[in-house]
Amino acid sequence: MAQAAAANPPYDEMHAPDGSVRPHFAALARRLAALDPGELDERQRTLERFFLLQGITFTVYGAESTTERIIPTDLLPRIIPADEWAKIESGLIQRLQALNLFLADIYGERMILKDGVVPRELVLGAPSYRREMQGLYVPHQAYANVCGSDLIRQEDGAYAVLEDNLRVPSGVSYMLANREASKRTFPGTFRLAGVRQIDRYPDLLLSTLRSMVEWRPNPQVVVLTPGVYNSAYYEHAYLARLMGVPLVEGRDLVVHDNMVYMRTTTGLRRIDVIYRRVDDDFVDPLTFRRDSSLGVPGLFNAYRAGTVVMCNAPGTGVADDKAVYAYVPEIIRYYLGEEPILPNIETFLCREPSELSHVLANLDKLVVKAVGASGGYGMLIGPHATTAQREEFAEAIKADPANYIAQPTIQLSTAPCLIDGEVDTRHVDLRPFILSGEKITVTPGALTRVALRKGSLVVNSSQGGGSKDTWVLAETGADPS
Amino acid sequence: MMLARVADSLYWIGRYVERAEHVARLSDVMLTATLDRAETAAQVARIALSAVGEATPDRVANPFESARGLALDRLEGNSVVTSLARARENARQVRDQITSETWERLNLVHLRLSGATASKSFNDGSSAFLHDIIADLHLFKGAADATMSHGEGWRFLLLGAHLERAQLIGRLLEVCFGRGVEQLDHPTLTAVLRMSCALEPYLRAYTADVRARPILEFLLLNAEFPRSIRFCTDEIEAHLSMLSRHAEAVHVGPERLAGRLKARLQYADMGEIERDGSHAFLEGVLAECGEIHRGVYDAFVAYPLEMRLPA
Repeated sequence: MAQAAAANPPYDEMHAPDGSVRPHFAALARRLAALDPGELDERQRTLERFFLLQGITFTVYGAESTTERIIPTDLLPRIIPADEWAKIESGLIQRLQALNLFLADIYGERMILKDGVVPRELVLGAPSYRREMQGLYVPHQAYANVCGSDLIRQEDGAYAVLEDNLRVPSGVSYMLANREASKRTFPGTFRLAGVRQIDRYPDLLLSTLRSMVEWRPNPQVVVLTPGVYNSAYYEHAYLARLMGVPLVEGRDLVVHDNMVYMRTTTGLRRIDVIYRRVDDDFVDPLTFRRDSSLGVPGLFNAYRAGTVVMCNAPGTGVADDKAVYAYVPEIIRYYLGEEPILPNIETFLCREPSELSHVLANLDKLVVKAVGASGGYGMLIGPHATTAQREEFAEAIKADPANYIAQPTIQLSTAPCLIDGEVDTRHVDLRPFILSGEKITVTPGALTRVALRKGSLVVNSSQGGGSKDTWVLAETGADPS
Repeated sequence: MMLARVADSLYWIGRYVERAEHVARLSDVMLTATLDRAETAAQVARIALSAVGEATPDRVANPFESARGLALDRLEGNSVVTSLARARENARQVRDQITSETWERLNLVHLRLSGATASKSFNDGSSAFLHDIIADLHLFKGAADATMSHGEGWRFLLLGAHLERAQLIGRLLEVCFGRGVEQLDHPTLTAVLRMSCALEPYLRAYTADVRARPILEFLLLNAEFPRSIRFCTDEIEAHLSMLSRHAEAVHVGPERLAGRLKARLQYADMGEIERDGSHAFLEGVLAECGEIHRGVYDAFVAYPLEMRLPA
């Protein structure tokens, strides 16, 4: 498979293999041809100044110093035609439906474990499994209210799911900021292309959060942030501002008689829904990590008592665990009786002895990931690694096989990007955002993440990745001239 | 209703921005005075440095270095760059509470001041540099006024700004007209008016009769000049009584103190103040400003939880 990947060139978003421009990119290609490259460069710089001024930045924690950086934004949009999007959308809805049912099941009757579809110890032994969630009522069975799934495009152009993010996915503010940027850069092309709107996201997020407490009139919603030093702080403040709800930190909240209050200038005020951007481990030092200073003592008990709703629910991480991932197609078949619309990437679980030996024998062709890690850390890209790195990783895998999975090296598709004033191609992935409350909705847009180094497949912002706007077209085959 | 932490941050943004503007202005006046006679220049430098920190002989003798320190030294607690970094840090923590227009102004001046080119810009033209900072801070205040809702958050911002201003002007007046200070000459008195941004409004009120007594009267008791202490206490009282109206809880702390101080300045008589010694009067005013600051904390920010738990 890896050899096959090397033989086939990656799928290019803009150009067909014969070099012709794909129809949905035609208008943009014409605009690009008419533009002087210096002009694009100038617009890029204007945009970067705009981001810096707005404080659209993320924080990079280095060994020596901490700096604020703007996320590198590429001006050229990635364009997705309507028929492709329809499939992505239905696939994502199907997947999240199944994952929510899976979460409700494993924190309830555990039928899927009893039926032997997913190994019991894989779920109950996962570090992200929260025993405390057992038997808890979650409205609409919506455990993962906000989900950001990572999709990639294989050599034949088929989309596949690389990862589900059901804990505290971030990046939606960059999706919205990138849209502002591309509207400014290509106003004419944008207008004619018939791009679907994404600016209702904050509005939809708020109704999703409110749908979790339908019995409460005028529910008080808040966004809980770890604070200004968190790398996604800008996003937390941005969402709070656009939803018009308070942005709170742990120290602003008090639990009294199993109810959650925030300290206001006029005394304590009751809270109904917490959109928390703090990891499970840190939400409540009494229940989870005792050394957490970000959380609120007693919050989990209040949650158990049903006086407050946390979104996402604690314990959703078990459904995006990298080992559980391998079973998602089975999970979809089990709960929905349907074939998965979006396929998985083939995954080897090192916990299985037969798969472990296959992985160790093919380290030079595989991508190995630590189950518990995210953000591109704890990862070996076999074909790009040195022999020494592979040997070191092999030892780590043998020491703790259950902690590793491996996947074939997949080419990510490529898209045109503006690099040093020139249009060049770079690898991209796709992170759409799915909301689930009373119903599941997919915002017609996404964060397209870009691996800025030529040939690189790593798109994480912490590892030198950038992003670009994603235009989802309203109609198929539209070629506005 | 707003988060206590947010109110606290907005209050401090107001204070820090006001402090930055004042320090920038004092530095500018100090540098301009170096063009005057040596004695005047030293006198002005001594006043400016004492009003915002310490006037050591070394610093008085090197006004350019002192002004650069007041503007750009990150280790200096009262420097413009420090105050603005703190204001911006607070603003970042309440980014959801202030409008983008307001944030942009503050972020811009912060970026300019902490950027790599700040030191060079200061050396190339210190006066223009300081002047631009003051103008940017006026834009910040204008943006806040024109784009933020004039509700609770805005009131905390202005409460902080006016309390800080009253204390800064009070401190300046103490340094100039306090106990044991010798008579200031005409150019120095003019410089004091410049430090309070009061020269033109003063001239309109008193004509070119620049003397200590009317200056003290103008900066202490004038009802219309926005940097007089009386004007500031009027504002403080107005914002506090509106803020207390939002609060259901009964607390008589800060607005009562502010009302009393306002009345004291409103009905003060210049003759009486001179008879009892302006130093004693200024000391009393500054002490009451300090009490109002503590009262604000007790009433709105750091109140004991036991008092506010639901029954």
